[in-house]
Amino acid sequence: MARPHIEPFVDRDVSFKKMTLPGFPKGMQYKMLSLDTDDGACTMTVLYEPGYKQPPGMSYAEYELFIQSGSITVGSKTWGPGSYFMVPAGVTLEAMSSPRGATALLFYNYGEPSFVESDTDHAKAERHRFTAVNSYENMQWTSTNFYPATAPGCLVKILKFDQRTQGFTFLYCMTPNFWQDNISYHDCCEEAYHIWGTSWMMQFGDLPTGGYFYRPPYINHGAFASKLGILAIGRTDTQLYNHFHFNPWTNIEENRQRAASRIQHWKPDLYKWINMQGHNHPVDFEHDHGHAHGDTPHHHGDGSVEHKHKKKRRRK
Amino acid sequence: MKLIPHRRSRETEIWLRKETLEQNKRYKNIVRQQDALSPKRDRWIADFLERIQTRGVHVHFDQMRKVRPDEIPSKPKRKFRVVF
Repeated sequence: MARPHIEPFVDRDVSFKKMTLPGFPKGMQYKMLSLDTDDGACTMTVLYEPGYKQPPGMSYAEYELFIQSGSITVGSKTWGPGSYFMVPAGVTLEAMSSPRGATALLFYNYGEPSFVESDTDHAKAERHRFTAVNSYENMQWTSTNFYPATAPGCLVKILKFDQRTQGFTFLYCMTPNFWQDNISYHDCCEEAYHIWGTSWMMQFGDLPTGGYFYRPPYINHGAFASKLGILAIGRTDTQLYNHFHFNPWTNIEENRQRAASRIQHWKPDLYKWINMQGHNHPVDFEHDHGHAHGDTPHHHGDGSVEHKHKKKRRRK
Repeated sequence: MKLIPHRRSRETEIWLRKETLEQNKRYKNIVRQQDALSPKRDRWIADFLERIQTRGVHVHFDQMRKVRPDEIPSKPKRKFRVVF
């Protein structure tokens, strides 16, 4: 992902702008939080003005919607604060309206925002991945089941988990007087938005309500503290592992080196195998290979693991 | 299928260029603000390095260990950045 390190950014400091992209109905405003300059994927705070109406329609990119305040009606059901939708690419969302208005967070993954009016799914849509839940009313807080884990008092609700990448979207909270005295970094990108409350990080200072960050991999963050507690929504693009340490001055390269060295010690056989092979195309027999050439043994997700194509000849 | 192949309209390309420019400004502003925070941050770091020797550093969940004085890192001479 090509998003810069945006940390910290407080959306309360900027005004809403009218959404002018083709296809989107009138009455939607937004604040851009971060944008992938390669593929247009982005995270925005949005405001649906009172009386907003959106016909049934789909997006070319997968998106996630989280209602912060007010309510929206999708089809015949009304969804209030805490409601979360994961809408896969090409899946049609029923007609949506917001008679009294609403604010929300809108995450477009893998591509820029788009809206195409349609009352049927696109042929390539994966309807079975659609999710809609009110996370405040119908989900309970659990402790983080990572190892090593964050300090006691940090709880989560998992909203989305990608089996392939292990990237996930989650609500998290810190209890009043939460503190964690270490420095962390991850191998994944991480972003978060404070729905309510202020937390403090040793590098960046206070992050208040409306505070946001998008953090690329291997960037130090922490120690952490929160006097009154927080409620936030977070996301990662791949597996989140807490690389804890206590050196405030390490940089990205040193952190990455340390992570690679740790993999070497934790999974020596796999590390050696990856280094020794003539190519770097490990194949997962449960997933398609994605090879460009197909000249090494691979499979097409059909259980036949010893499959080869001849090399394509280049035209002279 | 996480993204359905499609053709971007000209309006969308213009919108993306404009948002990219605004993001560049936002990024520079953050770097400036974070640079200005350096004196406070130095104090926070000094307090942290003190605390992990007396109260301890979090290792996992509620497990903590006290860091020995000889383990405390020293600040390198290079410019210290927190935004990359």
